Amino acid sequence: MVRLITHNLLACHAKGCTTNNYPLKFSNVKLALREADFNPDFLRGFLPRIEWDALVQASRERCSTTDLLKQLHHVLLETHIDEGSMTCPNCGHVYPISNGIPNMLLAEHEIG
Amino acid sequence: MPPRQYLVVFAQTHEDFRVPELRSVAELYGFPLTIPHDFDKSRPFGVLALDQEEHARFLARRCILIKAVYEFYASGRSYEELHEQNRSSRNLWEKYIPETSFKFVVNGYNHSISKARQREVIEDFSYMGFMGKIDLVSPEITMGYFEEYRDRDIHGTTSQKHEGAAVFREAFFGRLLEQGSARSLIKMFDVKKRQYFGNTSMEAEISLLMANQTLASPGKLIYDPFIGTGSLAYTTAHFGAFVFGSDIDGRQMRGKETKPGILRAATQYGVRERILDLCTFDITRNPWRCGGLFDCDHHRSSVVPPIRLPHRNPARKRHHTGICDQLRHPFAREDQPYLPPTKPYELSALAADLVVLARYLLNPGGRLVFFLPTVIDEYKELDLDSMLCDGMEVVRELAAGFRCLITIRKSTSVAYPPPTFDPQVAHGGSGSSGIDHDGEDASPASPVHAHVPAHRDFREKYFQGFKPKKPSSEEFDT
Ligand SMILES: C[S@@+](CC[C@H](N)C(=O)[O-])C[C@H]1O[C@@H](n2cnc3c(N)ncnc32)[C@H](O)[C@@H]1O
Ligand SMILES: [Zn+2]
Repeated sequence: MVRLITHNLLACHAKGCTTNNYPLKFSNVKLALREADFNPDFLRGFLPRIEWDALVQASRERCSTTDLLKQLHHVLLETHIDEGSMTCPNCGHVYPISNGIPNMLLAEHEIG
Repeated sequence: MPPRQYLVVFAQTHEDFRVPELRSVAELYGFPLTIPHDFDKSRPFGVLALDQEEHARFLARRCILIKAVYEFYASGRSYEELHEQNRSSRNLWEKYIPETSFKFVVNGYNHSISKARQREVIEDFSYMGFMGKIDLVSPEITMGYFEEYRDRDIHGTTSQKHEGAAVFREAFFGRLLEQGSARSLIKMFDVKKRQYFGNTSMEAEISLLMANQTLASPGKLIYDPFIGTGSLAYTTAHFGAFVFGSDIDGRQMRGKETKPGILRAATQYGVRERILDLCTFDITRNPWRCGGLFDCDHHRSSVVPPIRLPHRNPARKRHHTGICDQLRHPFAREDQPYLPPTKPYELSALAADLVVLARYLLNPGGRLVFFLPTVIDEYKELDLDSMLCDGMEVVRELAAGFRCLITIRKSTSVAYPPPTFDPQVAHGGSGSSGIDHDGEDASPASPVHAHVPAHRDFREKYFQGFKPKKPSSEEFDT
């Protein structure tokens, strides 16, 4: 937890932060790899929603050639960030991750 | 094969869910199901015509409220009627005559049948001429006979034949096809035996019934934006779905230990890997990058569980700094004292906004399932209209106590924007614009607003005990 599939879907939502607010940058991360059941149907359904640049950026060298779905499965579902934070590239808002749960709450002045 | 008839024996509970559950399970497995017009949901027996035996088995394996499914042979308002019909169903059971081992079970509903009388009943079926051996332990077939009486209070045990007993209603007879195997899940998901639960945890049976309304199955992605302690995550994940959860209050999802409570319970149930992720945020201020996430090819669905009168503003002014400090500090743990939001969101307005949000987040064909607290007596179809919007259609609504379980389907493939969750602007369908959210900004009355939904101001009504409005004060004042 936070899997890269989730990271791929979260954008900064602070007030007025509407451009360049994605992808959130990881820092100080504690990374873990955990095996998960392979479900090709689920992945296929999800592909149209993936933001590829963000995924490649987050996973860097992880994507190689062989079975693409297997690779995607590994990157999206088996790669977890348990501790650390995600920072908005635009406004710098820091969303902390603790025990795998990201805190995406905003302060009152950040609410539009 | 022409449709055959099946006798469904229901558990004697949650009768309002009986038909909706049959329908959703049929939908899930993609087979046609016609509920007979004379089907009486208040009775524990129902006879359904199904194209294939397999369909009856699907129902028995997935419906929480099914005790057993029988191949239907006969029913009757009198003993004679039942036997006459059973004789004419001979083609269905004659293959069991020569050598199939069997047993008979005799059951009374609202009425217990003495051992002696049970023997008589069984003997009355001797014309069937079964030649196989009677095997009470592991028979090849089990024949079930059910006598339904009208009221438990009027009748006790009797050894008399039922003729002339005014309370006898109907008898049913058939061959056991399959015991309902989903009922045992109620025990498995018993909240008291769960590794992690809280005071918002939902009773196991309800969370299973709700999971069936979502059509949870392998490969689907379900989102619970009010996940709390995760009651719905476990049951929907058990049926194979992936679950994403969020809640405004991280402590609800975490509990006291380091490993989040929801993950501990999910591990206990063997569904840990299907909890995709948990996130802390206010659903009315959500970080989703795009819509169309939680549904694909009518597979995925979304769940909004009981709306606990959520609140609009994350904090009151005086808590301002506390919240900010917590959020500014990158490693602040949100299981530290959390200051719950305090401004109420009028329920009918919230519901309308959540429907618009679901339209944004779901893929075409996806579903929104949620409980709406309401005052049943006042409940009218119009209530739902007031929260619907283009592209979202009601699949079913079912009243259960003070709540109504609503299932809405996204019937459009047009992409719509998310709601703004602005109390000044209403997003729902025709009837909802101008709903007064906080009692401060009422819009001028007009004919479209004339109907006040029964769930409107639910909380006030709740605390008043749903008494009808007192005559207006004019009678007392001046
Ligand atoms: C009735 S409880 C849900 C209970 C849940 N089914 C369980 O198993 O515990 C409602 C949940 O919604 C959360 N909630 C209330 N307002 C919210 C909001 N605006 N955004 C997100 N979550 C909210 C509450 O913190 C609470 O956990
Ligand atoms: Zn930002």
